[in-house]
Amino acid sequence: MSANFEPKIVAFLCNWCSYTGADLAGTSRIKYAPNIRIIRVMCSGRIDPTFVLKSFREGADGVLICGCHPGDCHYHEGNYRCLRRYHLLQKYIQQMGIESGRLRLEWISASEGKQFAQLVNEMTEQVRHLGPSTIKTVMETLAV
Amino acid sequence: MEKPRIGVYVCWCGSNIAKMVDVEAVSKEMEKIPNVVIAKNYKYMCSDPGQDLIIKDIKEHKLTRVVVAACSPRIHELTFRKAVESAGMNPYLFEMANIREHVSWVHEDRESATQKAKDLIRAAINRVSFHEELNRRSVQINPATLVLGGGIAGISAALEIADAKKQVYLVEKTDRLGGRMADLDVTYPFMTSAQQLLKPKIEAVTHHPNITVFLESKVEETFGYIGNFECKIIDRQGKETAIKYGNLVIATGLESFDPTPVGNYGYGKLANVVTSVEFEKMLRAGKLETSEGKIPRHVAIIHCVGSLNPDYHEYCSRTCCMTALKYANQVCLALPGTSVYDLYTDMRAFGKGCEEMYADTSHRQVMFLMFDKDDLPKVRKAGTGDACNLIVEMNEMLSGEAVLVPADMVVLMVAAEAQKDAKTVSHAAGISMCGNQFFIEKHPKLDPVATTTDGVYIVGGCQGPKDIPDSVAQARAAAARILATITQQMVEVEVTTAVVDEDLCCGCQTCIKVCPYSAIGFDAEKKVSRVNEVLCKGCGTCGSTCPTGAIRSRHFTDQQILSQIEGLMRPGKTEAA
Repeated sequence: MSANFEPKIVAFLCNWCSYTGADLAGTSRIKYAPNIRIIRVMCSGRIDPTFVLKSFREGADGVLICGCHPGDCHYHEGNYRCLRRYHLLQKYIQQMGIESGRLRLEWISASEGKQFAQLVNEMTEQVRHLGPSTIKTVMETLAV
Repeated sequence: MEKPRIGVYVCWCGSNIAKMVDVEAVSKEMEKIPNVVIAKNYKYMCSDPGQDLIIKDIKEHKLTRVVVAACSPRIHELTFRKAVESAGMNPYLFEMANIREHVSWVHEDRESATQKAKDLIRAAINRVSFHEELNRRSVQINPATLVLGGGIAGISAALEIADAKKQVYLVEKTDRLGGRMADLDVTYPFMTSAQQLLKPKIEAVTHHPNITVFLESKVEETFGYIGNFECKIIDRQGKETAIKYGNLVIATGLESFDPTPVGNYGYGKLANVVTSVEFEKMLRAGKLETSEGKIPRHVAIIHCVGSLNPDYHEYCSRTCCMTALKYANQVCLALPGTSVYDLYTDMRAFGKGCEEMYADTSHRQVMFLMFDKDDLPKVRKAGTGDACNLIVEMNEMLSGEAVLVPADMVVLMVAAEAQKDAKTVSHAAGISMCGNQFFIEKHPKLDPVATTTDGVYIVGGCQGPKDIPDSVAQARAAAARILATITQQMVEVEVTTAVVDEDLCCGCQTCIKVCPYSAIGFDAEKKVSRVNEVLCKGCGTCGSTCPTGAIRSRHFTDQQILSQIEGLMRPGKTEAA
């Protein structure tokens, strides 16, 4: 794999905990890899499986989902819905030939700016190691 | 559909963004994107001239959509929504790209940071093309307020609101009002009696025609939204009182750190090692005696027990330094022959009159000894030949010498920490906690008493350690905010709710099962789900559950988010094109 490969990771963050945690990483000036692109949703429960599949379809090398810690969801239980969908999605993407390491679900609270930065660095390295995702090319070849 | 006319504004945020992102290159590139009529960069978009720039352009260039790339939308989304609205545009036809917290402040390579900023703005341009006009909804405000916690903060908030002739329900979990202040002897720096200050306030609350006090009571759950909350107050016997209220003040306070785990100080093992809480009790009782009933000739006071310590609490507890000085003064006055040793790591005498009190204290029979917070003093029993009960061994930093401090009594200035049931309160009220279990304010600088849940305020020690004047100031600030909303009689509520397309709904009712607010009902006649927009909080869980795509999460629609993904992933191409 090319050593210069810079993966592109799409991240879906809930507004209340994880997006705020990512903001805190910023206000604390904690540096992390620039490979991540964050999309804000109100709750991790809003993350439709389509969003994840669309990201891979568009060429994302990795997709990160972050929500509030179990028991801390602003909307009580949206993160549990997200967790269930995540397990299904994991099975689904693997059947499509996408490695399981390309999709991660992690809990990040509003105070975990440092943890968020670490997570991004860790995931960037993980996906870099996996190399570029081929699913976009495959789908384009199949013209689907 | 008419083609949108989009204006894009890239903020420098002084040098905060401009230093790491080539704002000029970014705005130039955005201008090339189809439907982008104008793209500019400016020093401070949130400033008045910055906002005026947008307002002028909307009118001049007939813009129908606006994107601002600046700080986090959590900070200035509302500012810009108001700006575009003042130019006659629907505020929801606006979108923000976060290129400060998520780009310039966290990256070190200007080229990749600029690239990332471009991707995020392109995504925002795509998204905004699919934004829809949403109309603000207002609901009436119930003028009553619920105050949780009957300490000085809760009392102050309750009185302020009740004096304005509004109903207050004050719920206290213990059997008395006054909280931590009721345990204090005198207050620093002016040594006024805490009880003299507190008692008239408690009297006023107890007899106030507009305040209903519930002692030994709790609230397990609250329902509703700003202006229209409801809950049940449960007393010790389990009796429930249902109330309705428009705003909630959380003033549940803090508690004291238990120093037993800090091995060095021998608390719980050595006689005459007491906490500041226990020492305060002795002072109130007017009985400064060792456990043997003798007058202490040497009193050592140790600061930062459990504070400034990564093993316990990293933060400063803010009141202990001054309380320690207060103790030193009280001992000097009460026991003229007694020596006081004040073992501190970092004397923080920051309040009004506090540094002066520190200076005064240093002229008394008090010896100040400084220790390194990574090299804590150690308390041990004195030898048989020593003329005291205990010996404190320490490395004194200013002299660089190892010192043995004699003591008949050692006072541990214990940290303040969040209440053990803080999590229960945070769940009941729908607010968040920070890492050390204190509640998080909406904005640390500009909105320090509000929370991210509208209509819920946090005041006093539950937000972080603070002294009486700060608690009172916060309480009254929250009361002022609440009175301001009550005066308006109406309050705007979130419009980004879910909505069902009845033509697409198959009547499976899956959405009804996942809604955490029971906001979706079923129309048995039409066999479709229907969202109660007043109850819906817009989490969007139903939207991603619906198998037929009949539920749309307003402002977070599938189309908006999918186009955002495309914007991120397809440089040079946009959905709107």
